[in-house]
Order: sequence, then C-alpha cells, then structure tokens
Amino acid sequence: MAEEKLPSKTQVPASAESQKARQKKAPEFPILEKQNWLIHLHYIRKDYEACKAVIKEQLQETQGLCEYAIYVQALIFRLEGNIQESLELFQTCAILSPQCADNLKQVARSLFLLGKHKAATEVYNEAAKLNQKDWEICHNLGVCYIYLKQFNKAQDHLHSALQLNRHDLTYIMLGKIHLLEGDLHKAIEIYKKAVEFSPENTELLTTLGLLYLQLGVYQKAFEHLGNALTYDPTNYKAILAAGSMMQTHGDFDVALTKYRVVACAVPESPPLWNNIGMCFFGKKKYVAAISCLKRANYLAPFDWKILYNLGLVHLTMQQYASAFHFLSAAINFQPKLGELYMLLAALTNLEDIENAKRAYAEAVRLDKCNPLVNLNYAVLLYNLGEKRGALTQYQEMEKKVNFLKDHSSLEFDSEMVEMAQKLGAALQVGEALVWTKPVKDPKSKHRTTSAGKPATLGSNQALGQAMSSAAAFRKLPSGAAGAQLQKPPSLPLEPEPTVEASPAEASGKMREK
Amino acid sequence: MAAASSSDSDSGRAESSEASSKWLDAHYDPMANIHTFSSCLALADLHGDGEYKLVVGDLGPGGQQPRLKVLKGPTMLTESPLPALPASAATFLMEQHEPRTPALALASGPCVYVYKNLRPYFKFSLPQLPPNPLEQDLWNQAKEDQIDPLTLKEMLEGIREKAEVPLSVQSLRFLQLELSEMEAFVNQHKSRAIKRQTVITTMTTLKKNLADEDAVSCLVLGTENKELLVLDPEAFTILAKMSLPSVPVFLEVSGQFDVEFRLTAACRNGNIYILRRDSKHPKYCIELSAQPVGLVRVHKILVVGSNQDSLHGFTHKGKKLWTVQMPAAILTMNLLEQRSRGLQAVMAALANGEVHIYRDKTLLNVIHTPDAVTSLCFGRYGREDNTLIMTTRGGGLIIKILKRTAVFVEGTGEVGPPLAQATKLSVPRKTRLYVDQTLREREAGIAMHRTFQTDLYLLRLRASRAYVQALESSLSPMSTTTREPLKLHAVVQGLGPTFKLTLHLQNTSTARPVLGLQVCFLYNEALYALPRAFFKVPLLVPGLSYPLETFVESLSRKGISDIIKVLVLREGQSAPLLSAHINMPVSEGLAAA
Repeated sequence: MAEEKLPSKTQVPASAESQKARQKKAPEFPILEKQNWLIHLHYIRKDYEACKAVIKEQLQETQGLCEYAIYVQALIFRLEGNIQESLELFQTCAILSPQCADNLKQVARSLFLLGKHKAATEVYNEAAKLNQKDWEICHNLGVCYIYLKQFNKAQDHLHSALQLNRHDLTYIMLGKIHLLEGDLHKAIEIYKKAVEFSPENTELLTTLGLLYLQLGVYQKAFEHLGNALTYDPTNYKAILAAGSMMQTHGDFDVALTKYRVVACAVPESPPLWNNIGMCFFGKKKYVAAISCLKRANYLAPFDWKILYNLGLVHLTMQQYASAFHFLSAAINFQPKLGELYMLLAALTNLEDIENAKRAYAEAVRLDKCNPLVNLNYAVLLYNLGEKRGALTQYQEMEKKVNFLKDHSSLEFDSEMVEMAQKLGAALQVGEALVWTKPVKDPKSKHRTTSAGKPATLGSNQALGQAMSSAAAFRKLPSGAAGAQLQKPPSLPLEPEPTVEASPAEASGKMREK
Repeated sequence: MAAASSSDSDSGRAESSEASSKWLDAHYDPMANIHTFSSCLALADLHGDGEYKLVVGDLGPGGQQPRLKVLKGPTMLTESPLPALPASAATFLMEQHEPRTPALALASGPCVYVYKNLRPYFKFSLPQLPPNPLEQDLWNQAKEDQIDPLTLKEMLEGIREKAEVPLSVQSLRFLQLELSEMEAFVNQHKSRAIKRQTVITTMTTLKKNLADEDAVSCLVLGTENKELLVLDPEAFTILAKMSLPSVPVFLEVSGQFDVEFRLTAACRNGNIYILRRDSKHPKYCIELSAQPVGLVRVHKILVVGSNQDSLHGFTHKGKKLWTVQMPAAILTMNLLEQRSRGLQAVMAALANGEVHIYRDKTLLNVIHTPDAVTSLCFGRYGREDNTLIMTTRGGGLIIKILKRTAVFVEGTGEVGPPLAQATKLSVPRKTRLYVDQTLREREAGIAMHRTFQTDLYLLRLRASRAYVQALESSLSPMSTTTREPLKLHAVVQGLGPTFKLTLHLQNTSTARPVLGLQVCFLYNEALYALPRAFFKVPLLVPGLSYPLETFVESLSRKGISDIIKVLVLREGQSAPLLSAHINMPVSEGLAAA
C-alpha cells in the first residue's frame, strides 16, 4: 500500500510544476531521442510491456514526435499480430522522416504480411531508390515476386541480394523458386552453395538431404542428414528423414531410438507415428505397429499413406475385412495409385473374386513400373485357370523387370523373384493340376496353431508360415498352392513398408514448410 | 512471505546439488530493488583500499527513480538520486598519480557524470549539433518578422522533405501546430537560437597507451546521431570521432588508443560494424538479419547474441564461425574471465531463468536462478576474485562465488545424445478384447465383410431416401430454390412457463427481396398455447436477418416438453418452403413451483 501511494504523490507535484513552468516562459524542448536507447534495450530483450510503458511516456512528452518510439510501437504491434495498426504507424514514421529507407522497408514489410504483395513491391522499389545497396530490400523484393509468381524477376532480385551480402535466407528462397518450378537439380545446386557458405545451418543441410533423397541419391542424402544431426541432434525433420532411410536398410532398432527424440519433441506428428509403426512392422511386431499406425491415423485421418500402411499390416495379420476397410478409405483419398488397388485385391481372401479381378485390372491400368502388380494379378488369374490372361500379365511383368534392371539400382525382393520363377515354370509347363485346385490344408493348420497360442500374435507368424509353405513346396505341391493363393497379397509386404515410409514423411515435411 | 518461502525452497534445492556445483551461493536478496542493465553494472576498487565495490546505475522500478547505488558485500554503501536515467556505467583510471583510485563515469542523457571518491567531479556534455543553415535562416527571418508563420511552415516542410540534416525540435513542434496557434508559438520562441542535441546510448572504456590492467583509459561514447566519440581521460576533449550507418547499442573495444585499436559496435539496424584506428567509417560489417542483444569479445572472437535465441561467433574481420541455438530468449550477456586459469567465456542469461556459460560453442556450465536474470557481471568483488553478480527481473540481487577448486571442463554441459533418446516410446497398449476380436476376424472375416458391406449399402440407401424425403417436403431449415433462398434459425429463451421463441429468417439471395411469406406453427394444443399460430412475414431484404418473436406458454403441469414445428409458407401454396422442429425445453418455472 505504501509503495503504491509514493509514486503518485511525487508525480503530481512534479507535473503541476512543469505545467506552471510552461506557462511562465518558453519551455526548454525535451530531446526527442532521450529514451530511444531504453526503448531499444527493452525491445530486444522482449520485455514488451516495459517497452510500451516507456514508449507511451516518451510519446506523451514529445507529443508524438519521437519517431523511434513510434517505430518500435509499430514493430510490437506487428509481433502481436496487429498488422494493419503497425502499417499505419510505420506510415507515420515515413512521414516524420521521409528520407529514411528503413521506414519504407517496414511499411513494405507490413504490406507484405497483409498479403498486398503488389503494393509491397512498389514501396520496396521506392526504398531501393533511397538505399541502393541493401540486401534486405533486394531479398524481400525477390520474395514478393515469388508470391506474385514472377519467378524470373524474383530470381534476379535474389541473385543481386546475394551479390550484396550472402544470407542463408536468400539461398533458401532461391531454392524454393527452383522447387516451385520443379527443377530439383537447380535447387540442389543452390542449396549446395548455401551449405558451402554456412556449413552448420541445419535447415539447409536437412533440405539438401531431402532433395537428394527425392532424387534417390541415398549416399549423399544420408551424409547431409547426418551432418544436420551432428549439429542439432534434436532436429525433427532430419531425424524423420534419416530414420526413414535407416528403415529402408532395415536398421529398425536404430531408427526407433532416433524416433524417441522426436516423440519427445513433437509427440503429435502423424508422419512420426507412421514411421514408428512401420518400424515395428519391419520388426514383425504387428500389434505395436497397428497401435502406432492407428494413432497416426487418429492424428491425421485424411492421410492416405497411413491408411495404406494400416491396410498392409492388417493384410499381414490376415484381418482381411479390416484391411479392406482401410484400403478402400485410402483409395477414396488417393484414387490414382496402382499399388492401392493391388492391395485391395485382398478381396480374393474375402471370396469376392469378381471384385478382386476388377481391382487388379484397375491396378494394372494405373501402375507403370511395379512388377508386383502384374505378378500378383498373374497368380490370381492362374489360380482361376485363366492361363492366357496370366501369361499376358507375366510378360507384362517381365517387361517392367527388364526396365527396372536398366534404370535402377534397387534389388528385387528375393521372395518375389522366387514366386515369379515358380509361376514362370508353372505357366510354361502349364499342366500342374494342383495349381487350379487349392487345398486348404495349410490354412486350417495355421488356424489351429493360432487358436492354440493366441499369445504369439505379435511374433513373426506370417513369415514363419510363408517360410514353411515355401519349404513344403517340393514335398507337398498341393500345400504350396494353397499357400500361394493366400500369399500374393502378403508378397508386396516386404519391399513395401520402407518405400512407403519415406514418401509419407517427406510429404509431412513439405507440409510443414 | 511468498517470496521468502520460495527462496527457501530454492536454497534447499541448491544445497542438494551443492557438492557438484561450481558455485557458492554468497547472497540472494529477492527484494534488493535493483532494476538495471548489464551495461550499468561496474566493479571497482573505488576507495583504493583493495575492497572492490559494485556500482549500479539503477533505473528504479518502472524506470521512475534513477539512482546511483554502491554496494559493498551484501550491503548498500551509498545511494544517491540521479538527474536522469543512466544508460551506462564505467570505471576507469583518469591519471597516473597515486593513489590510483578509479573514477566512475555514468552516461545519462546528453551528459557523462564523472565521480571521484564517489563525489561529483566533472560533468561532460555532448557538443551541440550544427543546425540546418536553411532552418536557421528561416527562424532569423521570423525573428525580424520578415515572414509570416504560414510561409515559415511551408518552407520548413520543404526542408524536412529533402534536407540531409534533420530539423530541430522547435521546428518539428511548430509544424504540428494548428493555424491559430502558430502566431503565438513564433512570438514565444523566435528569439531563441535553435538547438539540436543528441544523447548517449552506450559507453565503454579504451586503454590510452598501455595494455596494463591499471592503465589510464579513455571513455568511448556511442551517440544517438550515429557517432562514436573517444574522450581524453583528463581534459575530456574529443580525441576522435567516427560515424556509423546506424545508432550504436553495444560497444566492444580492444587495443590502445595511441597504438592500434578495434571498435566493434552492434547497431539498431541489426548490423555489427567493426572500425579500426585511422578509419572514420566502418571497415567490416556483419549483417545479422536480427537484433543483437549482446556483444562480447572473447580473445579474438566476437560473440553476438541475437534476439532469435541464438549465439553467433565471428572473427574480428566479420567472418561467421559458428552458431549455437539457445533454449530460450537471451536477455543479456557478459564476459566471464577467470584470470587464475586463463579462462575467458561468455555468460548468457536466458528468459527461462538459466544462465549458460559458453566457451566458443561448447557449453561449460548452466546456472539455475529463481527468476530470469536481466543483468550480470563477473569479476573481483570485495576481496574475492571470481564473483558473479546477477540482478533479476523482479529486482532481486544474486551474488555467487566461483569455487577456487572449480575447473570448467568441456563436455560437462549437455553433449552426446539428447536426453529424450533414453525415454521409452509410449506405444499404446492393446487390450485382451482387441486380441480376441482380431482372432474372431481371422476366422469369420468373410462373413464380417459381407455383413458390413450389406449394412453399409443399407445405410447409404436410407440416408439418401431420408435426404430425398427432406428435400421433397422441405423439412430442412434451408431453402435453396432459386426463387426463395431462405435460411431459418430459431432460439428459445426463458425458463417457463412462458418462453420467448425467436425465429431468425434470412433471405440469402444476392439481390432479390422476398415478399408474401407466411409463418405457421404446428404444436400440441394440450401442451402449448401461442397467441398467434399463423402470421405474415414482412418483405425480406437480401442479406438481413429478421427476428420474428412470439411467446409460447406451456400448459402442462407435469414437466412434459414437446416439439413445435415451424413452417414457412408461400402465399397460395400448400407445400412449405422450409420447416424447423424446435425441441422445447421443460418448463422449469413450473417444476420449481
């Protein structure tokens, strides 16, 4: 209480005195910039309340003439989101000192934030007349032109900004232009230069790594992502990208340890839980995989990649009805992906052969390079006894395989190759009656085991089953056929999860930008 | 009380980690009432008795009561009011004579107040800036009544638009006035010479000609008109003047004035300029693209904290060396120099109540403080060589002493894999029920699928039927026909037994008004009574929402509620345009009675 009273007491006589003095003789004008330093110190340490108090006092004393006080007030308004107010104040500043390029720059900046890019460019050009050699003006002009979709002009301005002074931000913007134009190689060139200029900028390193990843240059991608992680071991994007690469190589445990860091920092990231789920899938811990994927799906219900993966895991778990459910949801969001239709052919297992065939037909129509689609279709047709159709699909698959051999370094999954060889042999020999009449022995056998030991649900049952059926192939051809009939959908599982994981998280990143 | 108890708990926590800490808690007073910046803290042996004192240029709570405070140990030695807010405080040796007691300089407004033995000794004022000659001319003419106020205003405005030299406060004030006030203003002020005065924004010291620790030093001032001044330590004349492209905020110097020196100034435009002897203008420039919040030189490296929560290291030629990201905003920075071990490090006080100590980019130590530290300095205090003095946002004072056995080893801070990597992933558990259901699906997947699909088709069929029916009988509260696009929205107010029912009817077409509508209520007459169950709607202007009010009285005494249907009809048509079902609330007024 006592403290509250004190200042008011001292203040009142002081102000009264000063008023008297003003009336008597011409007052000494206060120095306008008297407390600019104080305003600035409060501003940079983000003590905005104190800052506003000083500004108010200063503006009262100088009757609104203190330009810097108005300037900082406007900056604070802008930080608080009141862009229109800040714009008006900056315009006042520009009137108070029309020769100052800084004020014009801020006016333009506020216009830019309001989305008035055209007006902003005009003001920036005005400012550029006052200050020729300011990288910031050039840079921001470039950014404005990006939003106006005039990429050539934007590039010119950004390059001239780089000539004046090199900044990471300018490189990032230039890279963005190239990405918007779809020119990955040029973007990589720019980012390479940027990384050369500031080798410790994790954002640049991560972006460059991701671009390499998109191009399939895995070695370099991993190198840059690794560098980013050395400088900042908690970098969310880099960890996700590096983790997905580890998944591609089967290092699920390492990837999982890395994901823990992200799970702490960004626990609600859908791509993260998607990737964690696929890690568990890779480790054959299917229940955990489903849990994680379902969480991802809860966080991003419209992400078809998560739905796709969920479908995949449920296929492996032989929960065909659920798998169908997730896959059809995925198709609703992404109707143009061949693989989805191929998986949708889980209908085979739901004894809906007609629709399964249709799904395959659609998959074959949409897909251009995945031989699995044709192989699985061929197996289905063969099992139905339509040898001619199967043969066409088989040839189609061979074409794709040859094409991939020439153009890509990725190795084919051994299980797929084996299956293809078997099918090839069967088609050429053509007489094996057993293929057409699947006996359901292994299936029922499996059922009994699973019923007896439900606790092993999360273990590698599916693989064990696949292995045993493959081993049984020579001895018991009938059993193998049965296994084959149910295997095609599980075949794509092995190469799929990792391939899937990386685009999923890459897209997550793009969205973040 | 609250403050005391919190400090108790803090000290308790500190004790537990005392053994591992490098610091001794010497003093903590949360009510010290010191509000200042790092630049206003100085440590010096002011009396020449070997006992170092702390000089604080205190701004006072809310920047209202500027004071000069001198502390000895934990106690206040002297306290004297200051004429204006102190921008910076520094101690320096003025001359070679014995006893070599340092003088104290306080920069405040346009003046530097120099104290010796804590007594005012000298006041240095910045020289007046030359006024704009054209402006001077105009006022001279006004003085001799050669021009009238209106032309004066026009001419002054012309000067403001173009001139390099800004106008004086007097002219700026004049330009703001209304026509009626001008005459009086000119008469009152015309006899006075126009003045332009600037203020000091920052101050530091620079050794004159010897590198010794107790050598004579010059004061270096940064001013609001973008200049740097070097003052002679004895005569207080300006030895050198350098200009900058922006207003300096922080200064850092090295070298000696008479030999070779390097001045580094962090400025308000976010740039850092490096000047050398013989250069009137900056030689190197570092563009931060953020505001610097602190500038410290460690050996030959400049460490700059930016307001984007990062610490940057630059060479003395302005080349970027490294960047470290901070967990929170940096509030202030200062140098930590442990002479006995030859250690120089940077202390950065963060907004989350931590002080981080860095050598280059490696974190050496983290100090947790009960409140965010707003100013800090390190050096000899009292008779203890390595003392850290911090003041907090709430005005508290913390003094810590570095243990003599303490050695800062690299890697004691956070290095290696981040902590989060050790925590387990929280994978949602699945229940026994889930497992059972999974098994069931495996066995009866086909049947489940078929049932599901059948039900799904049925659901879709029903939904579309219901939709068609709603469309046909205009059951929806929205009508989208081209002739009468209408929207209806009803509100029931009151506790009962009498309710007020308000219908908001809106014509959603862009241009066409709607005429000739009627509203009809359908309700159970045993339960409710309405004054009029049927009335006409006025002309509906597009876009406006028309509130149509009516009272509803509940007749039932049993607390029953029912639905009231509202139909909007076109005159002469039996099919309603739209309809709404209003679920009436239970009449509470009756229930209570």
